[in-house]
Amino acid sequence: MSESKFETISSIVDNYRVSDQKSEQTIDDMLKDEHLANSWQSYHLIGDVMRNEIPQTLQLDLSAQIASAIAEEPTVLAPSTSNSKVVGGFKAKVIQLIKPVGQLAIAASAAGLMIIGVQQNTADTNEIITPSQIVQTKPLGGFANPVSFNYQQNTKSQQQAALEQRIEQQRRFQTLLSDHQQQIKLSAVKKNSDVNSSTELEAELEKSN
Amino acid sequence: MKSFVPFSFACITSFFISFSAMSAESEQAISLLERLSQSLRQLNFNTSFVVVKNNQAEPYHWLHGIVENPVNEDEVSKGNIELEILALLNGPRRDILRINNTVSYIEPEYAPYSISSEQISGPIPTVFGRDVSVLENNYHFVSVGKNRVLGRAAQLIRIVPKDSHRFGYWLWLDQQSGLLLKLAVITRKGNLLEQIQFTHLEITDTISENLKQLQTTELPKIIDVTAQQKNTDLTWQVNWLPNGFEPVKSDRHRINTSKQTVEFMLFNDGLVDVSVYVNPSKEKQRPIEFANDGATLVLSQVINNIEVSVVGKVPLETAKKIVSSVSFNRKLVTQ
Repeated sequence: MSESKFETISSIVDNYRVSDQKSEQTIDDMLKDEHLANSWQSYHLIGDVMRNEIPQTLQLDLSAQIASAIAEEPTVLAPSTSNSKVVGGFKAKVIQLIKPVGQLAIAASAAGLMIIGVQQNTADTNEIITPSQIVQTKPLGGFANPVSFNYQQNTKSQQQAALEQRIEQQRRFQTLLSDHQQQIKLSAVKKNSDVNSSTELEAELEKSN
Repeated sequence: MKSFVPFSFACITSFFISFSAMSAESEQAISLLERLSQSLRQLNFNTSFVVVKNNQAEPYHWLHGIVENPVNEDEVSKGNIELEILALLNGPRRDILRINNTVSYIEPEYAPYSISSEQISGPIPTVFGRDVSVLENNYHFVSVGKNRVLGRAAQLIRIVPKDSHRFGYWLWLDQQSGLLLKLAVITRKGNLLEQIQFTHLEITDTISENLKQLQTTELPKIIDVTAQQKNTDLTWQVNWLPNGFEPVKSDRHRINTSKQTVEFMLFNDGLVDVSVYVNPSKEKQRPIEFANDGATLVLSQVINNIEVSVVGKVPLETAKKIVSSVSFNRKLVTQ
């Protein structure tokens, strides 16, 4: 049995005709069996010698060297920029990363409108308003379609108007929400430094837009 | 009639028993919250959490560490250096870096900037890293029981508002380290509005690589906002707020995204921030409209071409009451 295996290996090495199934089976066996794997290496070497193709310096343990080199290679689970040993280069890197992202800000704030996905309500002035704590996550265009064909034209423009109004409202709310968060950040300031003036802050913040 | 006396006696004793039990619970809660505050300032931790609201999850990475100051050249910076990083992991990059009293914000809306501050303001209320006793006037602290969170033994603390104008906060604290494992914002009826669930917690003796890197980083220039903090005289005032809300600042500023100039006041009760905006509007009247972002409510209305808006983590009724309490001294100057 193992005789035939060696024969098959020899045939594969010589690129001799072997049935696919048999060669696959043999290669699988070689991966498991070190003895078979060694014979694979030896057959190649024998072939090389017979064809007079051996290089000047013969490295018999090349595969072992590669295997150990791979084993010594640290495993990178996630690409990490922060692990590099560049001292003081962090800021530059941060800014580099930020600049292209800044251009996405508009797209991102538009996406924010969708994300806020709100519990939403327009209270009627006459209506007695009851607190509604139930989150209604209606999609922006989440209106029921009109059933009657005749009314479609009319309701469509109404729908459009309602939708625009809704988007406008969402935008207003989103704006207030982000400004609220910004003001909270700025309010955490310790009141002691006298470095720059507030106009400088405004200028600083404007610049980035 | 005869049975009444022993009955009332039983009532009174049970009242006292429950009362003393209550105070013991609250004492335990306070000491656990103090421990949390200490742990947040003193431990080297590397942790991840997710903010869950509106069926959305926002993942964050949070690192904190303390190192001894290697250079003791000036008296002021002697001692330990506190390092902190909070990074939003999804979407455009939002990082907050802190070295002692310098906090840098890296956000898509602005060029990176630093402010002089002892705390970073992220999704976790800053008061938990500070003196929680400021909350005692407006909130009860109740230690409820033990639970398992993040595979660890956790102690549940409820921060219950004394009135109906605020939300409650439930905190699950790690028994071993005292750190936060979960935080939920709960309505009076017990509905969950928003929660922060920690997904990873690592406490180490030395600081992590990222923090070592931060230590040698030159942060962006500090911009001073104290001049802006000076309270501007406004032509209106807020006449009603829940007890304990104090004005933090008032000013006139331009909203970055809409370029609209607004008059603004910020209030705080130690835990919750509430903003009030007043600005002219093109519309004559608009009834109250509102939307929720997790626990944060945004509410606005227009009366006589003046738009008044309230933003904050407060119940709808509270925001309505605040908005309707705004009164004007004279007509707002239209820009």
